[in-house]
Amino acid sequence: MSPLVIAAVWLALGLVSSAVLRRRTARLVALVPLVGVGLTLLVTRSSTAAVPLGGLTGITGLDRTGEGVLVAAGISMALVVLFQPSIDVSVGRAVGVVGAAATVAMASSDPLVTALALTAAVATLVLRWIGQSPGKATLAAGRVAGTGTAALIAASPFLPLTGFTTGARPVVVGVLLATGVAALLAVYPLGGWAAGVIGALKPAEIAPWLVLLVPVVLIIAERIPGGNLGGGTPVYEHVLLVVGLGSAVWGGLWAVRGRTAMRYGRVFMVDIALCAAAVEGASVSPAVTGAMIILLTHLTLAPILLRSEDAGLRWPRRVAWALLSGVPPSPAFWGRLLILEALAAGNVGSTIAAVIAMGAIFIAAVMACSTTVRVFPEQRWRTRLPDLAAWMLIAIGVAVGLAPQSLAGFVFGH
Amino acid sequence: MGVSAPLLSAAGVIAAVVAMMVDGRRAVAIAVVFLAAGLAPTAATFVGAPGALVLGGCAVAAVLLAWAGWLGGRVLPWLSRLDPTIPAFAPADRLFGPRSSRAFGAAVALPVASWVSFNVPIGQIATVGGLLFPIAYAWTCGVIRLLVARTVEDLAVAVAMVGIATGTAWLLRSGNDSFPGAVLACVAAPLAAFLAGWLNGRSSRRAGRVIDVEA
Repeated sequence: MSPLVIAAVWLALGLVSSAVLRRRTARLVALVPLVGVGLTLLVTRSSTAAVPLGGLTGITGLDRTGEGVLVAAGISMALVVLFQPSIDVSVGRAVGVVGAAATVAMASSDPLVTALALTAAVATLVLRWIGQSPGKATLAAGRVAGTGTAALIAASPFLPLTGFTTGARPVVVGVLLATGVAALLAVYPLGGWAAGVIGALKPAEIAPWLVLLVPVVLIIAERIPGGNLGGGTPVYEHVLLVVGLGSAVWGGLWAVRGRTAMRYGRVFMVDIALCAAAVEGASVSPAVTGAMIILLTHLTLAPILLRSEDAGLRWPRRVAWALLSGVPPSPAFWGRLLILEALAAGNVGSTIAAVIAMGAIFIAAVMACSTTVRVFPEQRWRTRLPDLAAWMLIAIGVAVGLAPQSLAGFVFGH
Repeated sequence: MGVSAPLLSAAGVIAAVVAMMVDGRRAVAIAVVFLAAGLAPTAATFVGAPGALVLGGCAVAAVLLAWAGWLGGRVLPWLSRLDPTIPAFAPADRLFGPRSSRAFGAAVALPVASWVSFNVPIGQIATVGGLLFPIAYAWTCGVIRLLVARTVEDLAVAVAMVGIATGTAWLLRSGNDSFPGAVLACVAAPLAAFLAGWLNGRSSRRAGRVIDVEA
């Protein structure tokens, strides 16, 4: 099956679900990502990874890693929807568009198609966010994330760089691509918008960006230096290494200091910044494997931690935070260890910055575990279902911690 | 007959400045028409009539889709609570307003575009003085308008500016894929116009209802 067909199904189901479903049937929005996942498993697999640095070649196909990312992200998105105490059906539209855009972006070798797909996803999310909560934070998402996609669009006419591997052209392309990736991954100084949005909106509204879009952009960002970027490669890598590490340290401090409700979003941003820094600044095997393990950990635990604290799941939340803390043998420990190993191969400054960020995540996780929230217990079986599902996700998280490379390899391929 | 590069640049700069400053419910369509008109001479000079046709088609599509979106927004029953012309937040009173910051941004974009024009070759064409200037200027103005945006209409105008500038850059890069690439990039402008028109249609119908109720 072609990725374009899968994207079309995501889009159609998203639009139909937001138009047809009512409050009582709102949870059926979860069918949008689940059907997308089912079709992604049937995709005609490409033997080579799609790197969006070519000419206008159209959709080349999904490789094993791309397929794995989309499947894991889709399942996680469905679980986020199912775990929410209440769902606005119109979120189905955002889920559908972002899922379609993620599929196209992941399968495309053409920088213009990738950039336009990401623009469509960002535009949909921003319009929704501004409609839900008009304000500085949501408008900033349009401004900064929009600038990121504009930078990716602007890089497209200069690609491929065949015959122009030196001089100003590859440098300009490298800067544009780094700007686009940093803005979409919400890496400081282009990351303030995400922190604002996390504070201003419900978790279910942010989930399409956090669960569906970020993993895809991270994988694309990791692949870019492997393409023909010429003299732009060091610029691209060094920019993302520096801003990624800076972002991780700054975000770690705010994860400790910030409001409890924003803590998971902050920790997620720190981990993504660390992954971006490691896979670009030290693009050796441990960094990529570590980033995959961290990605898998977040996709597993996000449905639990994106549910508001006063809506139950007290003990599963605590165990989920323990799995994110970085204490061995939690999956986050192995992921961060590999990232640290890769950064340590570079220079001591990167290692120190990464250790500070990881320490901050640990403190934030301990604070989150120790936070007591008053939850009114209900004994009805329906209210117990989320608990059961949450414990199953915790079990998966523990399994990832016990066999990190095997399970990451199972999901993303080797 | 050769065409003066400064003249081409001047047309692009004037168009970009108009697109940068325009406000109101028809801002996207006006910006697209001016930009297409300002960049069409550059496109026509380097790729001939088909280049101008792509930009002309983009302008016509933007005007038609803005109108269709407005009409659809007024007629169809789905409700949107978003008025694209109302600022998403109210900043404190300052000496310089949004237009002043845009004018400042348009001035800052000049040296940026000039550097790109003289240092960055595009496609198979070697570096030629002034070749990329109007395109780089329009793109930079679009990004600055995006960064200082206060309304959804501002965001839509900025997306349209970036789309048309990139589309013209695709025309200049030459090769087999330049026309499909240009069309694909330019599609962003009519879509932005449609979206802004749609939201305008919705909010104008809602405003009409409020007036009726108050009467």
